[in-house]
Amino acid sequence: MAKSQKTSVGRRGFLRNAAAGAAAGAAALVTPPLVEAQGQGQGRGTGTAPAPTGVPAPTQAQIDRETGNVRPPSTVRTITRPGSDLMVQTIRDLGIEYVAANPGSSFEGLQESFINYGNPPNKMPEFITALHEESAVTMAHGYAKAEGKPMLALLHGTIGIQHGAMSVYQAYYDRVPVLMIAGNDPDFIAAHTAHDMAGMVRSYTKWDAEPKTIDEALVAIQRAYNEAITPPMGPTLVVLGSEIQKDNAPNTKIPAYKPPVFVTIDATRAREIAKGLLEAQNPRIAVGRLRTPEGVQRSVELAELVGASTSTAATGGPMSFPQRHHLCGPGADTTYDYTLGLETAGAQASITGPALAKTAATRDTVNIGFGGTVPGAGGRGGGGGRAGRGGAAAAPPIEADAEASLPLIIEEVKRQMTADQKTRIQARIAKHTSANHEARVTAITQAVESKRAGWNGTPISTARLYAELWPLIMNEDWCLSSPSNFSGGHHVQLWDHNKPYSYLGGQGAGGMGYGAPASVGAALAAKARNRIVINVQTDGDLNYSPGVLWTAVHHKLPMLTVMHNNRAWHQEYMFVEYMAGVRGRGDDRAHIGSTLRDPYLDYAKMAAGYGMAGEGPITDPSKLSAALKRGVAAAKRGEPYLIDVITQPR
Amino acid sequence: MKKYYVAIALAALATPMVTLNAQGGGRGAGRGGAQVANVPAPTSPVTGNAAAGKALYSTYGCYACHGYNGETGARAFVGRWGNLSTEQNFLTFLRGRANVAPLAPSTSMPSFSDSALSDKQAKDIYAYIRTFKSSAPELKDIPTLNAIVEAAKQDKK
Repeated sequence: MAKSQKTSVGRRGFLRNAAAGAAAGAAALVTPPLVEAQGQGQGRGTGTAPAPTGVPAPTQAQIDRETGNVRPPSTVRTITRPGSDLMVQTIRDLGIEYVAANPGSSFEGLQESFINYGNPPNKMPEFITALHEESAVTMAHGYAKAEGKPMLALLHGTIGIQHGAMSVYQAYYDRVPVLMIAGNDPDFIAAHTAHDMAGMVRSYTKWDAEPKTIDEALVAIQRAYNEAITPPMGPTLVVLGSEIQKDNAPNTKIPAYKPPVFVTIDATRAREIAKGLLEAQNPRIAVGRLRTPEGVQRSVELAELVGASTSTAATGGPMSFPQRHHLCGPGADTTYDYTLGLETAGAQASITGPALAKTAATRDTVNIGFGGTVPGAGGRGGGGGRAGRGGAAAAPPIEADAEASLPLIIEEVKRQMTADQKTRIQARIAKHTSANHEARVTAITQAVESKRAGWNGTPISTARLYAELWPLIMNEDWCLSSPSNFSGGHHVQLWDHNKPYSYLGGQGAGGMGYGAPASVGAALAAKARNRIVINVQTDGDLNYSPGVLWTAVHHKLPMLTVMHNNRAWHQEYMFVEYMAGVRGRGDDRAHIGSTLRDPYLDYAKMAAGYGMAGEGPITDPSKLSAALKRGVAAAKRGEPYLIDVITQPR
Repeated sequence: MKKYYVAIALAALATPMVTLNAQGGGRGAGRGGAQVANVPAPTSPVTGNAAAGKALYSTYGCYACHGYNGETGARAFVGRWGNLSTEQNFLTFLRGRANVAPLAPSTSMPSFSDSALSDKQAKDIYAYIRTFKSSAPELKDIPTLNAIVEAAKQDKK
């Protein structure tokens, strides 16, 4: 790169200064073209009187620039093609739809390109205004879970990264691809720079780089994307200096993008699995969480080809087998003689991607040892708790990407299948279809029987909340974006999870402050796809990042938020109750620190403050359905809506 | 540290109390596929003050696990009265909860010693609990739930 000459004094120098000089400002305005940005700061010590500390005082021009009193001279640098335009084009070429950011001066070059470069500007990606970096990253987390691909979160150097750190950790633990870029401006505020910017989140990102040239930056962005989407998926970070964002790059070409190579099973294994599925009398496919909607489609194709009944993880998270597919369920015969596991355990073959611990082993250089990500560090072991679920004894895992391996198995099945097998399979599919339908009707009949408990009670039962929602959305294209583990999980029994994005699952690392921003991310995914997002929002969680309500309104997102308002961090309340109990001290003070009372929060008013339509608090269950109907209608119009529902604790 | 944990764990096992599993492992109404419990409410004598018990039910966080009406949450009890069959059984049950320090956070039923909750207070709570009745209509009278079942029946793909 033809690196630009440094400005003679940077903005960091400005901040150190203490007084002004009007003459210097005047000189800046007549600075000829192609001369570095004198106008933004006279030379260190030029025309400035030392401050009492010995630090040169700022010029009037510097003060005017920083306070917005004058526009910087337009002729100080001739930039025909800023590096940041190329970066944005690279991001656009990767198919990134959105970039979420809370503004930061270290990426002003990039931000200007995002909003002005291209035709049309501010599309692919569209700039999404976040009110906090934690929100920006979790939006990307939620988006990726819904779409199976990353969007971008843009972070200010040092402080923005640390604001977003918790969300980075959740995405890492959840093995979700999130692409992040952080700015680094060494000439501005010293506290906002670092010599190893990515170091502060390295232990829980999958990959990072700090390229020094524009060419390197473009390669790094492509690499970061590929690393993010390759198992074990996770957040990746590219740190881009402010200079290379702003430098001129008239002749730089964007390198050709090479998609990542996914590790697949080998041909021998594919033949064995295909043979096993075809020769079995009653094969089964256990489907865990795949990477993308394409993987889900391929799992369906395989199940239909071999006539296997399937299990799904769709009621626990995204990217799994459609729950109401005619092959999903126990099937006509529950004695399975060949079970293939796809990103989960199978009795005869388990294809599972690499454990998170593998990444952690190389990335956790400071030996933090986050539980569950590093062997021996507590938690759930090396797999992040995802691999290895299932009832029957599992076959030893084959470490490969199940989704990328599916085409090989499908091809082998097609090659090996005989006419006799085909006939047998068709007969089996008919039996499974009937049996699975009956099983579903039986299950839902039992479920509704239990959901009527407390039906007319006040406050409103969480079961009724989910039950009343379902008839209103069952014929819509919907996504339940919020974790339900603290809200009774009633959708698991009542709703049909047929799309890769039907339910986006838990927080990742169990951290609060996830539901609302993840829902906004899911709603970004939904916006152009005529989909609506349902966010059953726990009250404790919302208070971490309520600013995302404004983001939802500002960007006209199709999102219905229904408060599960139990006026507490209720799980913790119960923990403290038990602790007080075992110590014999009574529970009358257990609410201290774990409940939200005195005063109660009014979430409809909170929403109104952020410009969001809404209503509530609703305590009368007979008024719930009509309110939900209004909310669903608003979401379908692309108008986010919030309904505050006072609920039973669980 | 490990020795300490083992000792506590063994003490927990040896404690002649209701086990942690028994306290916390069951399913409450509204979850899973269980039927709504419909055991008739007890008719045994009540000596406490229900109005006073209402405040205590809230103050002492009974609602946290049993719902505001005893019908929801982790351990609903309306329709499955069990240990609530008599006032004395209730008192015995309250005093007999687990009293070992747990190794992990737990939502099991706390212990209520008489120094933390007097007999009079416990009887008041019992009197309030005994006013609870099921608010669950018959299934046939809940159009929403019937619509869900009907939709599932139709959706044969």
